[in-house]
Amino acid sequence: MVYAVEINNVHKRFKNVHALRGLSLNVERGITYGLLGPNGSGKTTLIRAIIGLLTPDSGEVRVLGTKMPNKAILSRIGYMTQQTALYDDLTVRQNVEFFAVVGGLNGDVRAAVDEAIALVDLTDRANSRVRELSGGMKQRCSLAVALVHHPDVLLLDEPTVGVDPQLRVQFWQHFRQLNAQGVTLIVSSHVMDEAERCDRLGFLRGGLLLAEGTASELRQRAGTATLEAAFLRFADAAVSSSQSPVASS
Amino acid sequence: MSTTRILTLARRVIQQLAADKRTIALILFVPLAVMTVAGILVRSQSSPLSIGLVLEDEGAVIPLGNRQVNLGQRLAESLGSVSDVIQIQVMPAAEARARLDAGELDAVITLPADFSARTVAARELTIPVEYEGSNPMAAQLLAGLLTRGAVQTLASLSVIGGATVTAPPVHLQETYRYGGAHFDTMDYLAPVFIGLFVFLFVFILTSVAFLRERAAGTLERLQATPIRRIEIVTGYMLGFALFALAQALIILGYTIFGLNVHYTGNLAVIFVVEFLLALMAVNLGIFFSTFARNEFQVVQFIPLVVVTQILLSGALWPVEEMPAWLQPVAWLMPLTHANRALRDVMIKGFDLIQIAPFVLALVAFASAFVVLAAQTVRRGVNT
Ligand SMILES: Nc1ncnc2c1ncn2[C@@H]1O[C@H](COP(=O)(O)OP(=O)(O)OP(=O)(O)O)[C@@H](O)[C@H]1O
Ligand SMILES: [Mg+2]
Repeated sequence: MVYAVEINNVHKRFKNVHALRGLSLNVERGITYGLLGPNGSGKTTLIRAIIGLLTPDSGEVRVLGTKMPNKAILSRIGYMTQQTALYDDLTVRQNVEFFAVVGGLNGDVRAAVDEAIALVDLTDRANSRVRELSGGMKQRCSLAVALVHHPDVLLLDEPTVGVDPQLRVQFWQHFRQLNAQGVTLIVSSHVMDEAERCDRLGFLRGGLLLAEGTASELRQRAGTATLEAAFLRFADAAVSSSQSPVASS
Repeated sequence: MSTTRILTLARRVIQQLAADKRTIALILFVPLAVMTVAGILVRSQSSPLSIGLVLEDEGAVIPLGNRQVNLGQRLAESLGSVSDVIQIQVMPAAEARARLDAGELDAVITLPADFSARTVAARELTIPVEYEGSNPMAAQLLAGLLTRGAVQTLASLSVIGGATVTAPPVHLQETYRYGGAHFDTMDYLAPVFIGLFVFLFVFILTSVAFLRERAAGTLERLQATPIRRIEIVTGYMLGFALFALAQALIILGYTIFGLNVHYTGNLAVIFVVEFLLALMAVNLGIFFSTFARNEFQVVQFIPLVVVTQILLSGALWPVEEMPAWLQPVAWLMPLTHANRALRDVMIKGFDLIQIAPFVLALVAFASAFVVLAAQTVRRGVNT
């Protein structure tokens, strides 16, 4: 089986918002897949559907071949929330340790915790309480929590917001290393230069996948020089195509 | 001081409160609910104190006028009319003993065969009374009423006998089935407080802790791990129960050694009850936290869940004195069972077997609340 994540015609409607409108996409194993889209386009909703935190109204989500929601497979998935969801009163180490064990880490917890903390460059703040950290440090701690249990699929909802450029480069180096180990990453972002680093990209808008492909493919298909312009081009095309039937009738 | 700024801030406070419909509803509803319960309890006709009278008196001849008289019979009559608060039932000694042990009677008066004879000979009225003793207030009230009744008996005797001599003195020869003369109101209330504090604090702590877990998004994160809902609930229970037991240990130590409250029972049994109370409170806290969107609402649940329950739990008003229709409601409150168990252990020295019905009820409540809490953990996450 080639795909780490398979999403097939997923619909999700909240009270008055149709957040996912028949979305389908497949993510190959061992790549970094970028989800791009404006606020409210459904990125977080899609990620929550992938991990099984919400059940789609219709359609199907499979992770590593298992239909979601499924509790057992969750030890193989890591999730970094958009909001830095951490226990403020606990230290960095206590937070990471807690989620390492709860996340189903096999083997040496201490070593894994140390490694995760070192990776996000928080070793010298490991014993600080989370409430005393800066915003970017909290974000880094949150990433450490997401990957400490060595998941095979890592879902990162805007992981680099508030992280300084130097560390961002480090993060991406590590993401690449994880890919090399066979880990699949799905990363949501608004930042286009970050999108360039992804193996594949999905443009999301209004709960639909506008376009999909590698960065250069997308630029080429749109005939634009930048991804930003490409996104806008696809968005315009979507609007006009959804209007054209109305115009022709 | 800028009036505009103050007014703007005041307006913001009002806007926030107005947006929080549930808090508004609770602010309006909770005091009414609590006052209704309190009103019913305060106004309800309290049931009378029951006294068992073992009447074995064979009467005696009064020297003056040489008349045969049964003082026991007379005492029974005047006690029956002395006050509505007491209800006298004449019964055999064995029955009186059994019902006193069971806590159904508040006191037993035993008038022996030679009661009249001794009284006449000693020129002094000695009434042997054995109080049930758990509630020192009831014993005090009874002592006063019994003395009054006895004095009345003597007065009626003097009229009949035409005696001019001064009435002989009245003695109550008091003994206690449980507790003792040295037991005071604090001894009666302390067992209840011990349970109450554990329940109250654990309830508040869990509901706020769980609310935070929801608000901070850590609950969502937990749900994205293999941990099961029942594991979350059990983990919370274990963590808070340890705290609750430490708290109970301190409260109990202070109550007994600092406040000199009496106890006769086994302290280990008290911890069993405290443990169950803590488990219940954790699960109730988790359950109610799902209905609270903010700390305001949690605070509003305290009077609703805790105060109403205290009123109904027999902590201050014994359940037996509540109106008959309210008593089943009182027994629906977990605290009622805990209070009864704690009092039975501390005052009466009951063991685990003797308080088993209450402990089992607590186990049942705790299990039901575990299920309830596990069901609600999911809410608010999977939308
Ligand atoms: N729990 C919810 N209840 C109601 N509506 C929701 C809920 N979660 C998301 N929505 C709605 O679904 C739509 C998609 O939201 P989503 O959070 O997926 O967007 P996003 O792409 O992650 O945006 P952002 O870039 O701001 O994070 C929005 O219109 C949002 O208001
Ligand atoms: Mg989002």
